[in-house]
Amino acid sequence: MINRRKFLGLSGGAAIAAGLAACTGTSSDSGSTTSTGSKELRLFTYEDNSTIDLLKEQVKKFDTQNGTTTTVDSLPGSGAAVYPDKLRTELLGGKGPDVWRIWGGQIGAPFVKAKQAMDLSTYYQKYGWDSKINPAAVEGMTFDGVKGGMPFIALGIGGWYSKAAFAKAGVTAPPKTYAELEEANAKLLKSGITPLGTGGKYGWHVMRLFEYLLETSAGPDLHDKLLTGDESWDRPEVVTAFTNFKKWQDQKWIPDGAVGLDPAEVELWYVQGKSAYTITGPWTEAQGIQAGGKKSEDFGVFEFPTDHDPLRHSGFVEGYMINAKTGNPDMAAALLDFLNQPETHKALKITASVVAGAEPDQATLPLSYEWAQGPAKKPFYTIQDQAFPKKEADQYFAIQSDVLQGKTSPADAAKKMQDVIKAMKK
Amino acid sequence: MAWVFAAPALLVYVVFLVYPALSSLWFSFTDWDGLSATYNVVGLQNYKDMPHDPVVVQAAINNLIWAVVTVVVPVVLGLTLAVVLNGKVRGKPFLRLIFYTPAVLPLVSVASIWGWLYNPQYGAINAFLRAVGLDSLAQPWLGQDSTALGATMVAAIWLRVGFPMLLYLAALQGISPDLYEAATVDGAGKWQQFWHITMPGLRPAHYVVIALSVIDSFKVFDLIYAMTYGGPGTATQVMGTWMYFNVFQYNQAGYGTAIAVVITLVAVVVSVPYVRSQTKEHAV
Repeated sequence: MINRRKFLGLSGGAAIAAGLAACTGTSSDSGSTTSTGSKELRLFTYEDNSTIDLLKEQVKKFDTQNGTTTTVDSLPGSGAAVYPDKLRTELLGGKGPDVWRIWGGQIGAPFVKAKQAMDLSTYYQKYGWDSKINPAAVEGMTFDGVKGGMPFIALGIGGWYSKAAFAKAGVTAPPKTYAELEEANAKLLKSGITPLGTGGKYGWHVMRLFEYLLETSAGPDLHDKLLTGDESWDRPEVVTAFTNFKKWQDQKWIPDGAVGLDPAEVELWYVQGKSAYTITGPWTEAQGIQAGGKKSEDFGVFEFPTDHDPLRHSGFVEGYMINAKTGNPDMAAALLDFLNQPETHKALKITASVVAGAEPDQATLPLSYEWAQGPAKKPFYTIQDQAFPKKEADQYFAIQSDVLQGKTSPADAAKKMQDVIKAMKK
Repeated sequence: MAWVFAAPALLVYVVFLVYPALSSLWFSFTDWDGLSATYNVVGLQNYKDMPHDPVVVQAAINNLIWAVVTVVVPVVLGLTLAVVLNGKVRGKPFLRLIFYTPAVLPLVSVASIWGWLYNPQYGAINAFLRAVGLDSLAQPWLGQDSTALGATMVAAIWLRVGFPMLLYLAALQGISPDLYEAATVDGAGKWQQFWHITMPGLRPAHYVVIALSVIDSFKVFDLIYAMTYGGPGTATQVMGTWMYFNVFQYNQAGYGTAIAVVITLVAVVVSVPYVRSQTKEHAV
């Protein structure tokens, strides 16, 4: 086993090593701090323009209370496909942020496994996060037993729809069964609108549809076992899910050529009148509907019916991690605790808080409030691009892409997916 | 004394190019995940794994197709445009600007422009096809394996025509008009003049244009990344994007840098004729 420090030491002078660190992304792994002083912090996030100012305002409040100077940097709109790469590059360059926001599951896991993120167990005890934060969310930020992150939000995915599109098609109420959903799709298509706005570029968004179809055909227990590899994917329930997936494409219930469309664009089609509904989380009310100059009352939200009890939807956790090499871990943890206070969440207009007392405001975000009062309290399964490591998630999507293009039959897709899981478990 | 003068430049070269390149070579013999402080030396294993990786094989084929198409087509089009614009054409400066503009656009903008044009439902290309009654030709251009690579290559050709055109235009200025006058007096037609005066006169430019285009084609990354992200599935993966996915997304930095080493070797081999020609030229 060789460490990078030994390699650098063997191979040249300090100037050259410094150059290497800058160019290849490697750095010596001790003695490097990310803060230039004990009162300086840097927070890295992916807030977009509609929320970044709110965050900066709250961070400024924290600075005023604690005599710190915190710089907030954001990479808006990049999504889970790009942001972790930027973060990784910063960390390898030796000047990573003290605190960063990140998704849970397999997106956050590599940073904890590589010990770039600090084990926060001490701070969980110090601030009582275990008792204050939703346990399911804590689970989403725990990696092989290590509490590597502090959950911030837990988001459930639902169907967000245009009431005008439903009314025009004669769909009087959101579907309550899978059969009703298919009927609604047929009516919507007949009325001249694409039912579900989804795009497969990057893979993850169209995967929201497949994971729903898998939950519907397999049911909660089997679905969970499939994700952990405790049951074989080469089975009828999975074949049914792939068959239905293809059906959605063939029936034109998703856009023509959905596999190549950018989800950032397509997700908003339901607001723009180009599709009837989409699969997304409560952030869409502020960032999609209201930011687009539309009124919340013209839209609605429903749970995708699975015909199973419990009715689960997919979801994911986002949280914050602390750099293992930060110059001031205590202050960084204090910042995290501050960010997770109910009043901070309210000020940040968080619609899916992990702490009690920070529900969305009913007057300004009525749909998010409606979601928070009902579906958000139900159990959810991890969205599948976070349930698998990135490589396997991409292979999974490649299989889905082949099914949609008719290159792979549903039965073969189930077999191929079992091969992916088998290789992963090795 | 010569070493003293060369030292500053040499130091920068060593620190910012030679050393990182050598360390990348070193990491290609390891199983480094790209994040951890430690790794194991695995010898040539990463290189041995490559032929068994179906995506590497697919990416190499895509690279080859990309290299042939995005070198030949822009060079031929660029040469044609240069010859035409070198003659008596109205609005010559404006036309030169039009044809060269794509070359100065940021690649991400180019990707966005073509992404909109290719949109299967609302894009201009399908809208045009439907408007002229060719509905059957309307395709999800970036959303199916059969057309995705070709569609990205069209964007690349649009982007790259301006560069050879500009170099050929500059080279055409160096060919004496007397030669064409003499050829005309001798009864040579336009086609004969092109083959026997223009083409030989452009020989130095051919080296530059073709060599740089080939090297550029093997480095392709950004246009593919921005337009298709290597998809659908892995249909448009090229060596550059597959290297990126392994290093930065799959935590397989050792394997990814091995791919990078292979790309570099190919680019070096391809650039040898160009470097040799330039060296000879300067030696003369």
